[in-house]
Order: sequence, then structure tokens, then C-alpha cells
Amino acid sequence: MVSLLRNQKVHNALLQVLYVGSIAAMVLAGIVIARRNLADQGITSGFDFLFKSTGWDVNFSLLPATANDPYWWYFLIGIINTLFLGSVGLILATIVGTIVGLARTSSNDLARLLGRTYVDIFRNIPLILQVFFWYAIITHLPTPRSAHEAWGFLLTSRGLYIPFPNVGSAAFAAATVAVIAAIVLPAWLGRTSRLAQPIGQRHTIQFAAAAAALACSAIILALGRLPDTPLLDFPALQGLNLRGGLRIPPEFATLAIAIAIYGGSYIAEIVRGGFKSVGTGQVEAALSLGLSPWRVFTLVRLPLALRAMLPILANQYVWLMKATTMGIAVGLTDFFMIVALTINHSGQTLEAIGILMAGFLAINLSLAAVFNRINKAIALKGNQLRG
Amino acid sequence: MEMVLVAPPAPGRLEDLKRRFFATPLQAVVSLACLTIMVFLVWKLLNWAVFSAVFTTSGGPEACQAAAGACWSVIAARWRIIFFGLYPYEEQWRSALACVAVVVMTVLSCIPAFWTGRRIALVWGAGTGLFYVLMKGGVLGLAHVGEEAWGGLALTLFIFVTTCLIGFPLAICLALLRRSELPWISRTTGLIIDGVRSLPLISILFTFAVVLPFALPQWLQGDKLYRVILGSALFFSAYQAEIVRGGMQGVATGQEEAAMALGMRYWQRISRILLPQAMRNAMPATINQFVISFKETSLVVIVGFFEILASGNAAYGTGEWRFAYVEVYAFIAFIYFIFVFSLSRYGAFLERRMSVSER
Amino acid sequence: MISTNSTGEPALRIENLDKYYGTFHALRGINLSVKRGEKIVVCGPSGSGKSTMIRCINRLEQHNGGRIVVLGTELNDDVGNIDEIRREVGMVFQHFNLFPHMTVLENCVISSMIVRKQPRAQAEATARRYLEKVRIPEQALKYPSQLSGGQQQRVAIARALCMQPQIMLFDEPTSALDPEMVSEVLDVMVTLASEGMTMICVTHEMGFARRVADRVLFMDGGEILEEAPPDEFFTSSATSAPDNSCRRCWAIDWKQRSECVTPHAFRHLHD
Ligand SMILES: Nc1ncnc2c1ncn2[C@@H]1O[C@H](COP(=O)(O)OP(=O)(O)O)[C@@H](O)[C@H]1O
Ligand SMILES: [Mg+2]
Repeated sequence: MVSLLRNQKVHNALLQVLYVGSIAAMVLAGIVIARRNLADQGITSGFDFLFKSTGWDVNFSLLPATANDPYWWYFLIGIINTLFLGSVGLILATIVGTIVGLARTSSNDLARLLGRTYVDIFRNIPLILQVFFWYAIITHLPTPRSAHEAWGFLLTSRGLYIPFPNVGSAAFAAATVAVIAAIVLPAWLGRTSRLAQPIGQRHTIQFAAAAAALACSAIILALGRLPDTPLLDFPALQGLNLRGGLRIPPEFATLAIAIAIYGGSYIAEIVRGGFKSVGTGQVEAALSLGLSPWRVFTLVRLPLALRAMLPILANQYVWLMKATTMGIAVGLTDFFMIVALTINHSGQTLEAIGILMAGFLAINLSLAAVFNRINKAIALKGNQLRG
Repeated sequence: MEMVLVAPPAPGRLEDLKRRFFATPLQAVVSLACLTIMVFLVWKLLNWAVFSAVFTTSGGPEACQAAAGACWSVIAARWRIIFFGLYPYEEQWRSALACVAVVVMTVLSCIPAFWTGRRIALVWGAGTGLFYVLMKGGVLGLAHVGEEAWGGLALTLFIFVTTCLIGFPLAICLALLRRSELPWISRTTGLIIDGVRSLPLISILFTFAVVLPFALPQWLQGDKLYRVILGSALFFSAYQAEIVRGGMQGVATGQEEAAMALGMRYWQRISRILLPQAMRNAMPATINQFVISFKETSLVVIVGFFEILASGNAAYGTGEWRFAYVEVYAFIAFIYFIFVFSLSRYGAFLERRMSVSER
Repeated sequence: MISTNSTGEPALRIENLDKYYGTFHALRGINLSVKRGEKIVVCGPSGSGKSTMIRCINRLEQHNGGRIVVLGTELNDDVGNIDEIRREVGMVFQHFNLFPHMTVLENCVISSMIVRKQPRAQAEATARRYLEKVRIPEQALKYPSQLSGGQQQRVAIARALCMQPQIMLFDEPTSALDPEMVSEVLDVMVTLASEGMTMICVTHEMGFARRVADRVLFMDGGEILEEAPPDEFFTSSATSAPDNSCRRCWAIDWKQRSECVTPHAFRHLHD
């Protein structure tokens, strides 16, 4: 017996069984205890509750939602809210980050100083504090009656009102797709394998594609306009309330702003790192070929920097998606808050936690998959430029 | 002639300025735009925060609200709640002293002379012990103050320090388990690490605070504060484990082989050969992780703790100071900034120093 | 020169040793017996399994078939044995593998202190004695990165000796060194040999092999193709592996060159 225990193979097998077994036992014990405790409170476990109506409301949803809707619909709403808030935050943060990051790599001392100050301030203050701050600011904005107005935008404590096309939701969705196509199409066409034409013609084709897609979206908007309304609907005061335009709820605006500013400070550092990684040799080579500084930037520095940045950016985007859970601090019904509310109202604790984990796993994995695709697509072929 | 070659005439101030900021028309535009933004922001900020600000409590909230600038008197009136939360008034010096102990401990652990396993453990053990005794009392003639009365900066620091204290050894264990040669151990650990990393911290804190009590027998439930700390430590350790593992991958395999050949046992190899080198490699990333985790302690406000952010909300939320939210948040942001900025500067310094010595 | 101590069990006995890396058969039926005090030199082309064999002896690699008996203890799956064996078998690596975070002295005392549980004073005295022996006592308080390659390798030898092993294994100790540093390491090894240490050296330094070795082994393709005392090994041009002509060429080539060129010229043959 003793000699058997001293045998390395037996030893290793035993260790593994012990380790995996004890972890599995702990998880199982937790589940068993939790089920018993929940059963004592009259909650039957299982996923039947998904089809019961919730009986409570969400304050933000892109899909129609009423208190009669079942739980599974609410979870879907939560996921879509999270993805939507995440994407808006991601786009805004990327814009902010690119501007600040470019300022930080600029040859101008003042621009660099400005960029650095921005990063130092906003990176070093917790996101949740920034969320609270912006929420306090927005909710202390004037009431609709005395709202600030600028270029058709209205800033009020009820939310931000922006001009919005007077179109049906289907037409709006189609137009959005067309706009996205206007961005994606030229990039897709730009890949050398797809077009054999020389660079100049290729650019013309890319421009044409983008213009066509944009024109498409304009036509869709014009056709889909609600009858007898102006194309753009401006928000305006009517009685005590604001009518018209699109209302962005304060909670959503808060989170979008906070994520854009905080995430922007991180992305700025990534952008700076990307540009720093482009060797001066390549830039000098391009300059010595007689390319103009702008051409050097778009043809050499930007593409190389993008490739260096993308893997880190992917991590940052995953992080941004998770940051949407701050919604609960101001009461925005993102995926996590819906799960928390579900636990509160229905008591289906284990199931809801399971759904939460599965949801975030799915979001993370699909983001990772998308970025892997992009990464592969734009990776330098061969290794001539590495090292 | 010689003289000119040795010391060419220095370009005039004006020329230098011109070269740096107005070399091309584009440069000039950028410079002017930046200058305008900067002057505008600095002026606005100074005007608000200093020139038209009210610093004294003498006029009370009303006079303060009327002022055009910041109302710093809210801080003068409410700083105790921000720093100490609901800690008993007469005992607040203890809370202050405890915070000082943590700061001293942090500064000490930034000094390379303390970077041996034993010394760092000693510093952190002593620092945390001192903090705990000071805060909790019940011994040495100090009155007992339960955890439910802790708050403000002291609670923030407590959560941070205990998170690191539990999370760090846990991270090392996870990293070692993940690089184990035994496939099932490394796979299971990898699953745990990746699983935790894919979840947002808030959901983990929520699970530990609210859901875990269902899944634990009565005698294991413990205080909510400690459960949340455990959750936060788990989250910290999942990230830190990958950092430590990265550091371990930077250690040549020959090192462990040499240690084996000398007859060292597993733990001797790990503690004397592998970890010292791995931790050195991982130092900059580790400090970065500390910075992130310090910022993230603020999330416990969501599961209902009275840490510095919550006490800030309370500081302006009641009664006559309702209008002074910007000042309170600015003050708390400033406190966070001091801690986080100095720590991250230190991390950057360390990284530079290491990349120089690595040649 | 030959200082065999033929009493009792040999220091090392290898019987029918087989080793696989996955499906790759790295060692094929190796047989070897080394008496106490005997010096073996192992040579052969790169990838022939020299390192693998020597690493099996202190179980840095686990063998898949056959027996290895070191100092009377068989290496098997028994977890308790292995650390005891490793204490008695010192090893010197091609790339030194000194611990970079410790001074030279600490490198030498650490294992005596934590493995043999010696008090620091005693361990330091031993370490200083061996540092003296490898002729770098004055470098004791420096860090490895502050030493030259030759000095580092001598520290590595001293470090292994501090455990007072009964067998020393050398895996190409001079092939990572600049030519002018090779001799300082070889000198130390020659001294060690003359003191009666049991040594197994993988090396291509023929001068060393001629001077020190009791037997020279020639390996290729995971097999020992030839095994002879150095005089015989270097004079006979026929190998005992008649089947594979290519292998024979290498061996003959190796031997012939060894007669006309300086040993350092063979550095390109190592991996
Ligand atoms: N860890 C390993 N995994 C797979 N193959 C290995 C490993 N180590 C060595 N080998 C293979 O085993 C053979 C013998 O290697 P080695 O003993 O290092 O040769 P030598 O030291 O004689 O140059 C080589 O073909 C090598 O590729
Ligand atoms: Mg070898």
C-alpha cells in the first residue's frame, strides 16, 4: 500500500482525482444546498420560469417590452441592451481614444501635453466614480421647460433630446445597415486579393462603393418617412413636456459618456503604443520614396500601427462590454441588472446566475472570434516586416 | 573659426519657439488650437476651483450655493464622513491612523530592499494586522468597533489590502496549478481562471454578496464584507495568475532543471528558484494590476458598502449640501487620483528601469 | 590515470534503455556500466541522443524501458528515491543554468543548505573551498551576469561539487563558450578527474578525451555504436557499426580530424 502510494504514476493520478474531485464536490454541494434552501422558500428549480411573465418593467429597451412579457424575452432585451450600450460606448471610446492617442504621438509639444493630461486624469479615476459624476451632472440639468438648446439638441434632466429622422423602425434599421455597409464595403474591397486594378482605380472603386451605400441609406430614409412629416424631427417644448426628436435617457447617456471618456483614455494609450511600434526605418523608407507625409501616414504608419494595436484593442473591447454592467449603478437595465432583478423578483437564483455566466461567456467568445477573424485577415503575409 | 565650430551661436528664443510650434501652417494651427483649449480650460478650472470658490464654512450652505465658483466648504463640513464613514466620532483618530499604516506599508513594499518573499510578507502581515487592530479594537484598551460601522477611505483601503493579501497567494497557486504537468489539474485550473476572467467584477461581487449565502451552510456564511472581499480576491487572482504565469514563462527551463539536478524538492525549486525570477519579470504588470484593482474596489458600493464613494454620496446627499455634488466627487476623485497616479507612475518607472537593466 | 575502484556495485548500470519522445524513438537499447572512479566521454553527431541519455541518469527525462541503476538504487516511479539520487549526481549544463538572482556564493550554498540542511557557515566554507578549486574565489560576491562564460561554467561546476556528489555528469560544458575560455573549464575538469571523481562527459574535446577518458562512447541514432578506450578509439578507423555507412563516415571523419586540428575547431558540430 505504502509503496503503491510512493509510485509516481499512482501519485499523479491520485492528485488529479483529488483536485478535480474536490472542486466538483464543492460546486455540487453548493448547488444541492442552494436548491434545498430555495425549496424551503417555495422556489422550485428549473427553467420553467423563463416562460412566466415578469410583472415588472424595464426602463430602457430597444425592443417592445411590457410587464406581461416572459423572462426569456427580458433576458434577450438585457443582452441586446448590453450589446447596444457596449457598441455605442465602444465606438465613442474609439473615436475619443484615436483623437487623444494621435495627439499623444504628435510632434507638437502642446498637443502631446494636452493628450497626456487627458489620459492621466481620466485613467486614474475609477469608472464608477465617473459614472456617478456624469449621472449627477445630467440629472441636475435644467428641467425640459428651461432646457439648454444647441443646434437642435436639448439637454435636460429627463435626458438628451436629439433630432431624429421621421421614419418607421424597419426603414431605420435598413438605413443603419446601409451605413454600416458604407464603412465595411470599401475596407473589404481594399484587400488586395479582391481587386486587380492599380491603386488609383482601386480608390475610385472604393469611393464609389461607399457613396452608393450612403445614397442607398438616404433613399431608404426618404422612402420610409412617415407620411406628412418633415424628414428631420426636432425636439421642441410642448406644454410641460418635450415632443419630437429622439430621447436618450439620462442613464444611457451617462454610461455612454463615462465609458467613452474612460475607455478613450485606455484606447489612447493603445493607439500611442501602436504608432510607437512602427519603426522609424519604414517611415523613412517611405519618405525617401517621395511619398507625401499624408500618404506615408495612410499607407505606412496607419496600417502597420493598426496591426500592432488590434490584439490589445480586442481585449479592451471585451473589457468595455463588461463595463456596461455599471448600468446597475444608475439603474439602466442592462443584462446584468435584468439578472439581478430576476433574482430579486422570482428567486430563481441558480438559474439566473447560470444564464448570466452563459451570456457573458457567449459575448466574450463571439467578440474574440470576430477579432480573430479581423486579425487573421489583416495580418501581414509572411514575416518580411516583423522583427 | 574654431570657436564657432565648438559652440555655434544658440538659436534665439523666438526662433526656437517658431521651430517647435510654427514650423508649417498646419503645425501653427494645431499649436494655436491646443493653446486656446488649454488656456480656456485652465482658466475655467482655476476660476471655478480657486478664484470664485468658497473655502470657509462661515457663511453656511446658502452663501456657498450663491457663489459662482466651487463650494469647498462642503468638504470642510463633511470631510469626516468621507474619510471615516459612520465610524464613531471619538474613535476616528484610529481610523486615520489605520489609513496611515496602510500607506506606510504600501510605500515600504515599493522599496527594492523589501522584495524578498519573507520581508514583503512581514510588511504586509504587520501592516494589515495593525490596521485590523486599530479599526476593530477590543484589545489594548481600544473600544470595540464592528465592521458594520467601518466606512469611508478606511473601508476602501481595507477591502483593497485584504483583496491583495488573499488574492496574491491565490494567484501564485493558480498559476502553479495551471502550469502543472498533470493535464487534468492544469485544465481544470485553466477553466476556473478563464471563467472568472470572462465575467464582470460586479457580477462576481453580487454573487458572493447575495447568492452565495444560499449555497453555503449556515456556519460557513460569514460576514457579507468578508464574502465580498473573497469574491474580489478571486477576481484579482484570476488576472494576477495569468501575469504570474507570464513571468514564469520568462524563466528559462534550464533554471528548474538545474535546481532539480541539485536535488531540490518541488517547493524548494518553486520558492527559491522559479518564483523570485518570475515575480521580477512580472513586476510591472503586477503593479498595473494593483492599480486596476484599487480602482475596482470602488465597485463594492453597488453591493451596499459604505466605502469612500458611498460616503461621498452621503456627504452631499443629505439636506443642505445637495447642490455641492461636483465638489464632493471632485474631492473623492482627487483622493483616488493621488493613490492611483503615484502607484502607476511608480510602475512606469520600474518598467523603464528594468528594460534598461535587461540589456 | 585509470583509477578503477572495482569493489562491489558499479556507480551506474544501464540495461536495455529505451526512451521515446511521443513516437520518436530517441534511445534504442542502450547498455552501459560505469565503475566508480571511471571517466566516460560520450560523443556523436547532434541529435544522436547524448543529452537524452545523460539526462535519463538523473531523471530529468523519464525512460520508457530498460533499467537504470545509479549507486545501487534503481530509477523507477518511486517518488522518494529520485531526490536522493539527484543529491549524489551532480550535473553541469551546456548553458550553465546559474541562478541569476543569486550571487556566486549563494548559488553554491543554496542546495547544501536547503537540501542537505547544512548550517550556513559550513556550507559557505565548503563553497569557498570549491570556488578556490575552480580558481575564482575572488568572484564569490558577484552575480553570474557579471562573469565571463568560462567563469560562469566554473561556478556551475563548483555549485555541483558543493553537494559533494559521487557522480558528475557534463552535457557539452564547453560548447557554449568562446574558444579562449574552453581551456580554463577543461583544466578544472581534468583536475577533478585526477582526484578520482566518477565522470560522464558529453563533449567533442578530443584532447580532453585522450587525456582523461577511460572509455569513449560513440553514439548515433539513439544507439551506442562504438565503445573503446581512447587509444583504441582514435587509432582504429573501422567502427563496429558496419551497416550504416553514413554513420561510419561521421565517426571516421571525427576521429581523423581529431588528429590534425585543434579541438576548438569542432565547435560547429555541436548543437
Ligand atoms: N523534449 C523533446 N521532445 C521531443 N524530441 C526531443 C526532445 N528532446 C530531444 N528530442 C529529440 O531527441 C533526439 C536526441 O536529442 P538529444 O539527446 O538532445 O541529442 P544530442 O544531445 O545528442 O544532440 C533529437 O532528435 C531531438 O530532436
Ligand atoms: Mg545535446
